[in-house]
Amino acid sequence: MIQRYRASAGIMLAPAVTLIGIFILVPMMLTVWLSFQDWSTQTPFASASFIGLDNFREIFGPTSIGRDFKAALANTAIYTALSVVLILPLSVAFGLMVYQHDVPGGTALRTALFSTYMVPMIAVALVWSKLYAPGEGPLNQMLGIIGIGPQPFLSSPRSALISIVFLNVWQQVGYFTVLAIAGLTQIPGSLYEAAKLDGANRFEQFRFITLPLMRRTLLFSAVIAIINAVQVFEPVALITQGGPVGSTSVLTYHIRRVGIERAQGGLGSAMAVMLMLSLIVVVCALFALANRKDQE
Amino acid sequence: MSAGKLSGSSSRLQRRRPSGRKALLATLMLVVAVASAFPLVWMVLSSLKTPAESMQVPPVWIPHTPSLDAYEKVSSVVNVGRSMWNSLVIASITTAGILITSMMAGYAFAKYHFPGRSLLFSALIATMFLPPIVTLIPLYRLVGSIGLNASLAGIIVPNLANAFGIFLMRQFIAGVPDDLIDAARMDGASELLILYKIVAPSVAPAIAALALFAFVYHWNSYLWPLTVLQGNADAYPIVISLSRLLSYNRGAMNTGLVMAGATLAVLPPLILFVFLQRFFVDSIVGSAIKG
Repeated sequence: MIQRYRASAGIMLAPAVTLIGIFILVPMMLTVWLSFQDWSTQTPFASASFIGLDNFREIFGPTSIGRDFKAALANTAIYTALSVVLILPLSVAFGLMVYQHDVPGGTALRTALFSTYMVPMIAVALVWSKLYAPGEGPLNQMLGIIGIGPQPFLSSPRSALISIVFLNVWQQVGYFTVLAIAGLTQIPGSLYEAAKLDGANRFEQFRFITLPLMRRTLLFSAVIAIINAVQVFEPVALITQGGPVGSTSVLTYHIRRVGIERAQGGLGSAMAVMLMLSLIVVVCALFALANRKDQE
Repeated sequence: MSAGKLSGSSSRLQRRRPSGRKALLATLMLVVAVASAFPLVWMVLSSLKTPAESMQVPPVWIPHTPSLDAYEKVSSVVNVGRSMWNSLVIASITTAGILITSMMAGYAFAKYHFPGRSLLFSALIATMFLPPIVTLIPLYRLVGSIGLNASLAGIIVPNLANAFGIFLMRQFIAGVPDDLIDAARMDGASELLILYKIVAPSVAPAIAALALFAFVYHWNSYLWPLTVLQGNADAYPIVISLSRLLSYNRGAMNTGLVMAGATLAVLPPLILFVFLQRFFVDSIVGSAIKG
């Protein structure tokens, strides 16, 4: 019997494991291997030659390669941090709006929020580039109505990155709202009853029941939001091309430009490895932080 | 159940509160909903404007004489029919592949005991957190070396299995009673038949959710098709054809054209979502809670 199911397990797992192995795990290992090689993306893997840590020295060095990479790394860090800092509180606030029962329309609100998550990023980028247009764009018109002067949005190095953060938040917050609602439904109503008997007001209930019991959900949301944020590509590739003055050059865009368009596969791979390491460090730090809070 | 309790208590609570809180909450909800819907509404409205209306400052919000001229012009700039077909082929085949591979692997992880199960599962799940750019460069070369670049197959084949699908299917198949499966085994059914006849119907909502997720994700996907196609315009999915409207994106005059293209690309995933959002939401909630 056992033998039979062991064979079945092999058959059931073979397609998925083979595909993920060939198209994700092997390329991942190749990325690590290539980061130590001098290799052009236009040549076979066999033509790569080992150069130790030279790629890493170069991408952190003083030349233009190093400057561009460090700028992209910094832009990605800023972009990711801003996205997470905006998305998490908004998702909880919107989740509470959908989940409450005082005012009807929660489900309609959820639909409105979540529908943006279905929109291809390329369309989001096109639409927002028009919303942000300096003269005829509706956003500046609306700001004008409430007495705020025209903003340069995507056309100034000071505001271009944050403008892309806003369109990212607009697109993604609905997904995280649904995650927040999932977390809210897990909190037993009896806790709120008990807190009310003890005289806790709404804010105290939120502070001492909702937030602590949402910690796992928020941790999960933060990890997903980070992974999503480092993938930003379309608005940069399509609208800003990394500019103005490199202010929106983020890693996914920069790595693709170096590794595919300029065919500097070794350098691009070293950058990809740094991205992977950065993600591992950040995610581990988040988990460590959450565990320490759990113990308190 | 907890939701029921909460609603009961909060309705009792609000009776003691001034209704100002409710008005404020309703206003906030309306503002959020409008802000969320506004860009898409504006996109559709703009696609119906004439070029003259698009250029007006201050902007015209509602077109005076809605026209479909912009949609006609999109068709003359890019091959809309072909691109939509390509997108449909890519999204459908990829989705079918993901469903098959995910159900098989999810069943194995949920119902078989074999050495190294949790290790293999962890290794696969870890790939869920890997941004595609990390593997893009070698994958591009790898797919080229097996002769699949610049083709629809090159877009589809690397995406036929993914960790999210396996994860989701394992979570839901684990809830299918073992007795049900054992009874079918007693009757001599093969494992694949059991998966198809017994397990799949029991987890139909999860399958629907995964199908929709996969379809929308691969309809919208841009980075990989752009990289692998290397300018083979015949194989462009709609999102890449859309980016060719970029050259028309500079002047306000062509806003209508760009917005018409965007509307065309948005419609299929959005229509799917409107009809089937329950499955989307349930599966996100399911994967978050059970994970």
